[in-house]
Amino acid sequence: MNPETSKMLRRRVSELGSLPVMPSIVQSLGTCLSASPGGPDIGRIVELISYDKSLAAQCLRVANSAMFAGRARVQSVRQAVLSLGTQRIRDIVYSCSLPQMFAGGAKHGMEQSTFWRHALGTALVSQHLGRLLLVCDIEKLYLAGLLHDIGILVNSLLYPREFQSVLEQAEASETPLCEVEQEILGFTHCESGRVLADIWKLPADISDTIEFHHHPSGDELDGEITWVVYLADVLCRLRGLGYGYYEAREFDLAAEIPWQALRKRHPEAAAGLDLARFTFELDQYGVEVQTMVDSIFSSVTVSH
Amino acid sequence: MSTNSAIVLNQKAGDADLADPALLKLRDLVYRISGIFHAENKFYLLALRSRRRMKEIGSNTFADYLEQLTTRATRDVEMRNLLNEITIGETCFFRSQPTIDAVSKIIFPKIAALPAKQAVKKVRVWSAGCSTGEESYTLSILFLEQIVAKFKDWKIEIVATDLNDDSLAKCREGLYAEYSVRNLSAAMRDKYFRQEGNLYRVKDAVRAPVKFDRLNLQDQPKMLFMKGFDLVFCANVLIYFDSAAKKRTVEHFYNGLVPGGHFFLGECETLFGIYDQFRLVHFPGATGYYKAVPGEDAGGKK
Repeated sequence: MNPETSKMLRRRVSELGSLPVMPSIVQSLGTCLSASPGGPDIGRIVELISYDKSLAAQCLRVANSAMFAGRARVQSVRQAVLSLGTQRIRDIVYSCSLPQMFAGGAKHGMEQSTFWRHALGTALVSQHLGRLLLVCDIEKLYLAGLLHDIGILVNSLLYPREFQSVLEQAEASETPLCEVEQEILGFTHCESGRVLADIWKLPADISDTIEFHHHPSGDELDGEITWVVYLADVLCRLRGLGYGYYEAREFDLAAEIPWQALRKRHPEAAAGLDLARFTFELDQYGVEVQTMVDSIFSSVTVSH
Repeated sequence: MSTNSAIVLNQKAGDADLADPALLKLRDLVYRISGIFHAENKFYLLALRSRRRMKEIGSNTFADYLEQLTTRATRDVEMRNLLNEITIGETCFFRSQPTIDAVSKIIFPKIAALPAKQAVKKVRVWSAGCSTGEESYTLSILFLEQIVAKFKDWKIEIVATDLNDDSLAKCREGLYAEYSVRNLSAAMRDKYFRQEGNLYRVKDAVRAPVKFDRLNLQDQPKMLFMKGFDLVFCANVLIYFDSAAKKRTVEHFYNGLVPGGHFFLGECETLFGIYDQFRLVHFPGATGYYKAVPGEDAGGKK
């Protein structure tokens, strides 16, 4: 990143009255889910969620929402964890807590529901793709997918009017967002996201994903988490989980640098992956993600 | 069983069907044989359509039906019947908006920018297995509606082929029921169709660029003559071929395309494991296949 841009963004972010805060539950739950070899510690997960009363209540509400209809109604956090499984609970906890990071902050810019739909979609698809390609740290992939675009939120806060024109121009010209950002702002959400990632002290590979997810080099510099998130991001934008507008682009994913880098590292898994079938399968996430985001945002609106 | 309990059973069939592991196996079998893939959000369609066939042949469970499709002597006939059921009613005007957008917003501007095309200014399209003509006429309308205004002096030539003489007769007749034109606005209907009672007939301007021909896709000598296309469409036809015939036919499509040309299958069909010369390409909401230009950098298509 251009050091001047970085310095300028750092200054602007530090001048913000209230700095966006990374919900502590996201990191503690992430650690809890990925660390234990003997399976996750259910007791600890329940404890973490129950610590925040409003989060716990929201989890129960989402757990009992239409998406999980047909299952028994859950009354407690422990019941929710046991009946839905740790993966589902993780999805619910993250999605319930993340929108609050920037709640009430940006008056302009991307609709929060659109933003989180893409974030959650990318997280799920990254994880699914990572599993098929046998990439090791699945839990981290989820978090990297979820946070890869935080720079968009930073841009909405720092430059509300300019970013609004970025969105309008991108939609009108059917062009990828980062190209228009570069043109209007002189930098992209990759760079502003990196600044926030550093302030939050996110793990290095997640910060790298945030910085390089639009221009991965395919060498060790950005690493396989970036590659997977890059592909998941593109796939989500292509299958109705993007930024809510048509991007007139044709992608030959197999020819993209990240795919080639992944194929080199996991040749057998990559050769066996039916990419067209994988793409069709993504459409089932669309429904799932939409339901979850609708459910979260109806409650966020009420609580403010 | 009383009528009442039969009704209750039917209503409940939905959820139970979707959770039946045999349905998953049926999905994989259909994919292996035909290349049509039902994602989870399309399971209900597969369940519904299989149920229709099962009722016909007196099969009560998916597990039993699966056996009928794999081990019985009549399995090939029944698979064909099921595939017919799966693809029935698939055709209408402007059926797949994502494919239409990909053609008009991405592929066509790319073709129009090719230096080699500047002298001829013509785009050639082949609709292989054109059935009753909706897809071919849709392309003609799309060209008139969205492309002709932006790219002056360009022409389109649509070659539409099918094996079935009755279908071809319907194509030439160009007369469609309201159901076929349901995706079109009233203004579009008025512009491109003449209403005849309850029916809609395509106007001459729509008809002019389309040439209908009888062609068997398995007729090797004739297939060799199909050359020089920028776009080939072949939806829900290969699904009935065995894997050797599929490969042979797709190879003809590949050879029939100019370098830089595109090939589209039906919405949920794939070429995985059939033919690997094409590159799978993604457009918003649609997938297609691309014939690379010789020497084209693998990373050069963005």
